[in-house]
Amino acid sequence: MSKKLKALIIGFSLFFVTACSGGAESSGSGAISTSEIVSLSEDVPPGLDSDGPSASIPVTQMAIGNIMEPLVYYKDGAANATGVGLFDFNEFEGRLAESFTYDEATLTWTFKLRQGVVGCNDETFNADDVLYTFARAKSVSGSAPIGWFLSNVADIANFTAGVFDADAAVATAAKELGDEVTKVDDYTVTIKQAKPNKLLLPVLTIFGLNIFDKEGMEANATPEDPWAHEYSNNTNLPSFGAYCIDNWVKSDSMTLVANENYYAGAPSIKKVVWRKVPTSANRLAAVQTGQAQIVDKLTPSEFASLDGVEGVSVSAVTGNQNLFVHMNFLTKPFDNVLVRRAIASAIDYDKIIANGYFGKAQKWDSHMPSTYPGYKKADSPYTYDPEAAKALLAEAGYVDDGSLKLTYITELESTLGPIATQIRADLAAVGINIELDPIPQSQFGDRALVKRDLPFALNDNEKPIAVDSGYATLLFFVSAANGSLNNMVNYESTTVDDLYVQLKNEGDNTKRDALLAQVQETLMTDVTWVPVVEYQTQWAHSDKLSGIKWHPDNGIRFKDLSVASN
Amino acid sequence: MRPKQKIASVAHLRKVCFLNTEIGKTKVASYVLRRIFIGFLQAAGITLVVFFVIRSLPADPVARLVGFNSTPDVYNQAKASLGLDRTIWVQLGDFVGTDGSGVITGDLGKSWVTGSSVTSGVATTLPITLQLVLLSFVVAIAIAVPIGVATAKRPGGKLDKSVFGYGLFAGAQPEFWWALMFIFFFYFQLGIAPAPLGMLDPLMVAPDKITGFILIDSLLTGRVDAFFNALWHLWLPIMTLAFILSGPIIKMTRQSMARVLSSEFILYSRASGLSRKQIARSTLRASLPPILTLTGILFGFMLGGAVLIEQVFSLNGLGSYSIRAVLNLDYPAIQGTVLIITIISLIVYLILDLVLVFIDPRVKAQ
Repeated sequence: MSKKLKALIIGFSLFFVTACSGGAESSGSGAISTSEIVSLSEDVPPGLDSDGPSASIPVTQMAIGNIMEPLVYYKDGAANATGVGLFDFNEFEGRLAESFTYDEATLTWTFKLRQGVVGCNDETFNADDVLYTFARAKSVSGSAPIGWFLSNVADIANFTAGVFDADAAVATAAKELGDEVTKVDDYTVTIKQAKPNKLLLPVLTIFGLNIFDKEGMEANATPEDPWAHEYSNNTNLPSFGAYCIDNWVKSDSMTLVANENYYAGAPSIKKVVWRKVPTSANRLAAVQTGQAQIVDKLTPSEFASLDGVEGVSVSAVTGNQNLFVHMNFLTKPFDNVLVRRAIASAIDYDKIIANGYFGKAQKWDSHMPSTYPGYKKADSPYTYDPEAAKALLAEAGYVDDGSLKLTYITELESTLGPIATQIRADLAAVGINIELDPIPQSQFGDRALVKRDLPFALNDNEKPIAVDSGYATLLFFVSAANGSLNNMVNYESTTVDDLYVQLKNEGDNTKRDALLAQVQETLMTDVTWVPVVEYQTQWAHSDKLSGIKWHPDNGIRFKDLSVASN
Repeated sequence: MRPKQKIASVAHLRKVCFLNTEIGKTKVASYVLRRIFIGFLQAAGITLVVFFVIRSLPADPVARLVGFNSTPDVYNQAKASLGLDRTIWVQLGDFVGTDGSGVITGDLGKSWVTGSSVTSGVATTLPITLQLVLLSFVVAIAIAVPIGVATAKRPGGKLDKSVFGYGLFAGAQPEFWWALMFIFFFYFQLGIAPAPLGMLDPLMVAPDKITGFILIDSLLTGRVDAFFNALWHLWLPIMTLAFILSGPIIKMTRQSMARVLSSEFILYSRASGLSRKQIARSTLRASLPPILTLTGILFGFMLGGAVLIEQVFSLNGLGSYSIRAVLNLDYPAIQGTVLIITIISLIVYLILDLVLVFIDPRVKAQ
């Protein structure tokens, strides 16, 4: 070997050792900080506009929840066994609104706004910000008009489909905010509904109607983009929430710093470094070694592996995540209720809970999340009974030709793959031989939402955005002809349709719950879906970190957290 | 009888190749222009194929955009906002830039996921991938070529057998598996590598962006701490990729060297009494074309193929950007990344061919 080559190798080695040791020093973890944390997710927000292209992405919704603030929110409830704080979804309290009242005669809500609220831009909150938010929603100028959709679902007056009218003049007029949202004075606004609808307060809690800082937005509007979609989606989100954006690199990281003027008191954690770490095993390793203080979306087995690991805790909550079997009513043999019932009897639910979710799930005995107001456990839940399944198939005259395919989202293979395999074995045991058919998420969404032609599928992706069983009924189970939003299985029931009309206008909670109970019993009788399990939303975190609360978008609010010094 | 040549003389080779003459320079210029023209046609063809193929996929990007809570009106509004309510020819015209803003003006459109321009997305992610791939190739070549040469000199020796075993072992496992194994041993077990959380420690502020290459930007801005921290975070992904790339390069070097060593002109050189150093130089030079060709092909492949390494080490480069684009049916981002990767690959192949012209007289003759 030549002297030059030897010198090059030695030089390279020395350089590398120097680099590594320098890096090692600078990356020393030391004691955990009580004011700064690192949070790891499989993604960071690709955009922040609540009416923008990434509005349906969970991390975008979580970011908005940390940066913006709603008018109202749910009242605190009790914490669960793992210490996760829960909300009482029947009770609302003011956030940016200090208080609110409802006049049934005029269908008008009056919101008294909180005074002295200061946002990240040092602007002060007032009624103009509320009007700006609703005017922006009604403009349907974003690529995904979520704000209009939520307002429309809650029957806020004049939020009609006229905004999409083919006649430009009609559409333009319909997009103007009228007297449905009015400013009484600087700290009082009214919102008028077109008809009684219990969904108004629930939709006001959702990210799509969180309140903008009007001045901050207008300062960044342009003639081509008068509602500042470009700015809010790519640069900043002027508002009045607990955190402000310090640094944001799309697809890489977002750094949030506490809004020291936050009206409910400055957050305990002053700085949050939120990083994208796509591989769940790396997130697991990082929280185990103290490089990160909180991580989410590990696989069930990875969460289970943390049992007994020193310095790491797992917080878990049964929220609104669930798994069900989808059977298309327009496809044979699922048009036969006996076949659907047989499938419901063929599935070994306990084994799925034990092997698929490592015990972090519970059997689901309704078509509504058990945490949602109006939930009712079925009088006769489906049970694992293979002999009954065989008898039902015989009664249905089912002839197995092995052509059925169980579709699921291929990106969720690590979670759904083992469960799909078990269901295949369960069905084979009663004489239904199926193939597994994993397909990409985009294709699954297209077939489930747009074409509605998926015959047989496993779905763990459905969360009604408004925390209400009535909304879930409209979303999934009302017939398409009567306004269903996402009736994936093409279910039609005049009973459910009639009940929905009644409950939508029912102001009395007890009567409404009774109607919802009838809806749920009908769905169970018809085997609209086969609800399988409600699985827990989990986070792995430092055992010094506490205060996690479960929000319906399943995202963390960093203002809830605190870190103990030792 | 063969004509007499001064085999080891670069000046002589240039003379043989006409590279020092006006005729040679004109021919090379003509060759480059012809390749650029062909490359332009290739890039345009690939882009058009991608444009039509992704629109024929059995999936709908609008469903991803609006989510599962929407009405038909919202769906249609979202569809119109993406321009998908227009005919495919109008969409093609927009993409190409018939209205003055499109690919022909360097505008790749806006991502349907991030809402940012695809150009800015590529500008952010491409340097991360290029940095990783380039450094990995430097390390891989620095390791693989000497080993390949050594094994060719002593076929059947201990080193040759070891390398054969390594080639089988390394080549039999997917790269992400090696990445996870290396992380497990070097980070989790031995603690001599950082957590795979990206280019810098989570709490370290990144240097101001100038070129997008963090190692360069940190030096340009005087951020020595960030330079060493980035190097610290990059060493394991670079070694992982170099470990994977070394296998085929070693094999190609060994085979090529062995073939040249047994060729008649080397025997003639030996018989002519040339020194070992001169013979080694001639041998290596004659062995280089297939090695360079392989390296070029691997480089083009790695621009998109390094995605698994990027994913595992949270590097968020062009591969990760492309994968997200594909999974979300983000047509503009898919079209943009395919176009950029195609152009870079074509440039690399062109450079490679030019290098081959300089080192291999037979190519020139053709």
